[in-house]
Amino acid sequence: MKHVFVFDQDKCSACSACMMGCMDQNDIDVTQGEKAFRQTFDTEVPTEDGGVFCAYLSAACMHCEDAPCIAACPAGCISKDPETGFTIYDNTNCIGCKSCAMACPFGAPRYRKSDGKMVKCDGCNIRVKNGLQPACVRACSFGALTCVTEEEYAASGSTKACHVLIHQLGLKK
Amino acid sequence: MKKIAIIGFGGAGYNAAKEVRRVDPTAEIDVYSDTNTGPYNPMLTTYYVKGAIPYEALFPFGPLEDIIADLRINFHGGKPVSKLLPEEMALEFADGSREAYDRILISTGASAVMPPLPGIDLPGVFKMRTAEDAVHLKAALDGGKIKSCLVIGASWVGIKVVEDMVSYGVPCTLVDGAEWMFYVAAFRETAGRVQKDLEAKGVQVACGQMLDHIEQEGGRLTAVMQNGRRFTADTIAVCIGVRMNVGFLKDSGIKMGRGVLVDQAMQTNYPGIYAAGDCCEAMDTQCGIHRNIGVWFNANKQGRVAGANMAGSHMEFDANVLVNLAHYLDYDFISIGDISACKPEDEVYEYEDQAYYIRAVRSGREIRCINVIGSADSNGVIKNAFIKAVENRDAPLDIQTVCFLKAKGFPDRFIDFLGGKTVD
Repeated sequence: MKHVFVFDQDKCSACSACMMGCMDQNDIDVTQGEKAFRQTFDTEVPTEDGGVFCAYLSAACMHCEDAPCIAACPAGCISKDPETGFTIYDNTNCIGCKSCAMACPFGAPRYRKSDGKMVKCDGCNIRVKNGLQPACVRACSFGALTCVTEEEYAASGSTKACHVLIHQLGLKK
Repeated sequence: MKKIAIIGFGGAGYNAAKEVRRVDPTAEIDVYSDTNTGPYNPMLTTYYVKGAIPYEALFPFGPLEDIIADLRINFHGGKPVSKLLPEEMALEFADGSREAYDRILISTGASAVMPPLPGIDLPGVFKMRTAEDAVHLKAALDGGKIKSCLVIGASWVGIKVVEDMVSYGVPCTLVDGAEWMFYVAAFRETAGRVQKDLEAKGVQVACGQMLDHIEQEGGRLTAVMQNGRRFTADTIAVCIGVRMNVGFLKDSGIKMGRGVLVDQAMQTNYPGIYAAGDCCEAMDTQCGIHRNIGVWFNANKQGRVAGANMAGSHMEFDANVLVNLAHYLDYDFISIGDISACKPEDEVYEYEDQAYYIRAVRSGREIRCINVIGSADSNGVIKNAFIKAVENRDAPLDIQTVCFLKAKGFPDRFIDFLGGKTVD
């Protein structure tokens, strides 16, 4: 059953619980300077009228419908899981060339210096396949970040699915 | 039942076949190749040489037999096409036989250029493009036969051969004919930093050196430059660029520049005949001219677009901008946009700190070219901001891009340069 990440910016306070959940689930080694696959942003952005927009965001791989990182990987490491629809990877043959990072408009893939390979959010694919929520979603207390089936998403009437953001924001490859 | 021919089976040919099969389960797909190997990625060769991947990984789509079975293609290995007859929608082979098709894809790729200079055929002079090239170099390095190397051409391949040599502890010199390294992508100021870093890692670099000929003396090779300078080494890698494999199309009527000219559907001037990958020149979004931007992503995407259109569906290839990414020896350099479009009177943005060096040029509100050193994790974000600015100069950056770049330590002025940070 295909799944969809949904992010409601209006409910996010950038508390970073999602990031901590990600860090824990994926054994991110912060002592080695590694960062969680999911990042939060609490940024003040000046607006055209002289005001300030306070942006609270949580972002990781958007699991784009037509993910550009897949075609960009020269070693064929990245693919779509036919069951969940998540953009997953097997970095056994990863050469650390960073082509996936160059293709991603969201900065999701990143280089892990300790083994010279690229890593990214896989949507907690194994958790979802076993009926659990992704770690970041489970940690979100505000309901800003959710993960639902395609059917549930269609029925919700929401327009905030992450996998279509690449088109909504006019980002290409 | 539609009859489709694919000439050449690299990334573009494979993705075209895959898309045709996805859209049309009944199409008959004939693939012609001058080799009997499956689609491999030339970019992986130097990684195989230094032992980062096994031989099988040079073939990212898997073994040829599996591909033939999965995609249900008729693979004609070792059968190059000698001629294409567009009016008849037919291919001609070495024995004079012909075969007609409903749709034809030209995806013959490109080959490493070996200039016709004296000594270029001497043993120990090599190129790096094919799986075979990689196997030979690796065997020589593993056998301890190479004690020093001269790399001619500071190209994207040349720098990776340098990396191979450094990883084997082989003393290496890099020479290039241009005034500075990565001349077609790097500003002089960027190249100066690149060269300094390389020299600090023990690689000798000499620019402004045009090869005249190669001599052999006492088992060693000497490259003699047009200016008389001599560089001696056990082995010489010639990495001066590639030439598109389009010779068989001469006088066919197919419109060509350096490669086959295609529209956004990857179609040539003949309806029903398409081209994709390193042998074609698609429309450059930034400059509005035909240009080959030979990166793996483009080959895959163009193949897929051509495949979809050949099978009767509709797809377009867009956002084709010049991008050059070099990463080697823990160093990252990216150039986005057309450096040749930059004029002396253009506005220059320059920034340097411990993490990044940025040099970018803008004419009015039009960004021409961006060089960044050290930005690997952010390259996709910067590139897409650039594409967005090219497509619509008035489009501000989306908030997510702004937050990301700020968190990554890019200065506000650079974010403004890319398109501003005004929120609707």
